[in-house]
Amino acid sequence: MLEFLFKGLIRDKSRSVLPVIVVALGVSLSVFFVGYMKGMIGDVVDQNARFNTGHVKVMSRAYVQNISQKPLDLSLLDAEVLIKDLKHQYPEMNWVKRINFGGILDVPDENGQTKTQGIAGGIALDLSENSIDKERMKLGNNLIRGTLPKGAYQIILGEGLAKRMNVNIGDKITFFGSTMDGAMSFQNFTLAGTVSFGTSVLDDRTFIIDINDAEQVLDMVDAAQEILGFLPNDVYDESKIETIKNDFNTKMSVETDEFTPEILALKDQAGLRYMLDIANISTSLFSTLFIIAMSIVLWNTGLLGGLRRYTEFGIRIAMGESKKAIYKSLILESIIIGLIGAVIGTLLGLGLTYYLQEVGIDISDMMSQNSMIISNVIRAKVVPQQLWIGFIPGVVATLLGALLSGRGIFKRQTSQLFNELGV
Amino acid sequence: MSTNNLIELHQVTKRFPVGDGEFTALSDINLSFSKGEFAGLIGPSGSGKTTLLNLIGALDDSTEGEIKINGKNIANNSDEASALLRNEHIGFIFQSYNLLPVYTIYENVEFPLILQKIPKEDRKIMVLQALEWVGLKDIANKKPSQISGGQAQRVAIARSIVKKPEIILADEPTANLDSENAYKIMDILKNLNEELGITFLFSSHDSKVIKYLKRVISLEDGKIINDEVK
Repeated sequence: MLEFLFKGLIRDKSRSVLPVIVVALGVSLSVFFVGYMKGMIGDVVDQNARFNTGHVKVMSRAYVQNISQKPLDLSLLDAEVLIKDLKHQYPEMNWVKRINFGGILDVPDENGQTKTQGIAGGIALDLSENSIDKERMKLGNNLIRGTLPKGAYQIILGEGLAKRMNVNIGDKITFFGSTMDGAMSFQNFTLAGTVSFGTSVLDDRTFIIDINDAEQVLDMVDAAQEILGFLPNDVYDESKIETIKNDFNTKMSVETDEFTPEILALKDQAGLRYMLDIANISTSLFSTLFIIAMSIVLWNTGLLGGLRRYTEFGIRIAMGESKKAIYKSLILESIIIGLIGAVIGTLLGLGLTYYLQEVGIDISDMMSQNSMIISNVIRAKVVPQQLWIGFIPGVVATLLGALLSGRGIFKRQTSQLFNELGV
Repeated sequence: MSTNNLIELHQVTKRFPVGDGEFTALSDINLSFSKGEFAGLIGPSGSGKTTLLNLIGALDDSTEGEIKINGKNIANNSDEASALLRNEHIGFIFQSYNLLPVYTIYENVEFPLILQKIPKEDRKIMVLQALEWVGLKDIANKKPSQISGGQAQRVAIARSIVKKPEIILADEPTANLDSENAYKIMDILKNLNEELGITFLFSSHDSKVIKYLKRVISLEDGKIINDEVK
């Protein structure tokens, strides 16, 4: 009987090809959507973690209250002891100091007069030879001109900022800002290189210096504005992060000092919780809507196909097949079609995702006025979830369509059905 | 009621709901058919011929009365039991041939045997034999769309006899055929009746069919008005 059904399916294109196309299209869209969302979410998480939030960030309570202003005067003191303690408590994490600060960059001409000047944001991190943080920021890979700093008071500029300030490698740049205590601070730097972060907001407004230089310039020795923590291999895991955050903050809850360290998770910062939750909800919502829409489409396809096949059903009833057996065969056919469509759709969706993962879509022109840390290239990401996210709904929707459309066989008296067939 | 009869109908009535009321399609029918009969139901449209064939073919349940096939009452059979009865004992021939278009002639004839779960090798022998009976062994691999109406009806006959049923119910089997093909078909059916002893029950108004019948049962308004053995 199976062979008989297979022959019918293969030969009757409207019974097989059309539903397979419908399922494959739906599944591929679903799979691609998940890959796209995961890529986008992953990219937002990765970019924000690397440049801003870490997987967790340790700050003083007072700093947390004013986090948007990044106030240096509310930085953590005795930072080295704290980092040592964090390493002891959470040895799997990588802990690094970061300082985010702002100021004026001034480029003098040959006479020492200002040639160009502009406001810029600085990131200070460990730029020493074996620095993990330097690797994390992919500065070497993203170098456009020059080299990474090899000595004290060398500076890297975002390529957009360097162009705007019309500076070349080796040029002197003076930083004007304020220390942790609010005193005026200035320091000459030599431009070592320029980088492209792949994010317009960083490329056009950011410079990077070594953390030791920053501590001197900002008078922050053994202080830390922010201590960022990263999970092994920089792979974000929300549940682990929440555990660490809750554990640390619970331990610190007995302290009353406003400079007591406090951990914020990645999602607690920069509005990421809302964005990531929305992204996750929309992914789930899309999958649910997909199942419903596909079921309706396949129900309709099944109904039309069923009506077209009433003669066949009538003949089969006359030959001695029961309604139940016909219904079962319809379900079996739908499973076969669902499986074939789901496999094709999944492969198609994975292919599209892989293409977008490798090639990406350059949206840098649209990002020039953007202030969020979002990559200039949208990339999808192939994730294991894609293997089932479209596959199961594809098969279920096809099955549901067949179950619903096939009910017509049972609803009728055999003779009534038989007569309707024109048999 | 005689127990030697293959088909027995005792005080069979069939009513259909129509709007708020009922329409009586068959009223108090008493009939019996012995093995090997070549009988026909004749009468105008709406006289109850097809309803009677449906009841005998276990495609419908009577409202009242008793229908026995091989001595077993089939009234109120489950869908599965009715299907089994059709599969094992009853063959159908239709006015419009009703071959499955995506399958070959061979596969169309083979289908009832697949339902009976007969092994492939045995099926092959039986299908080729059935096609030989109707003279179509050489077109076994063609599709229904590639053959004539007369050939299609012969395929339908082969399909109905391949499982060697005891009863064949033929509803207007010659209605779509020209005279030459109609006679050919009736000759084939008559031979099958004589050679295999299959009981044939026709529903028809075609004089060409009636000419062949050994017993003619006339129906009018759901009642038997004449039952004549030639």
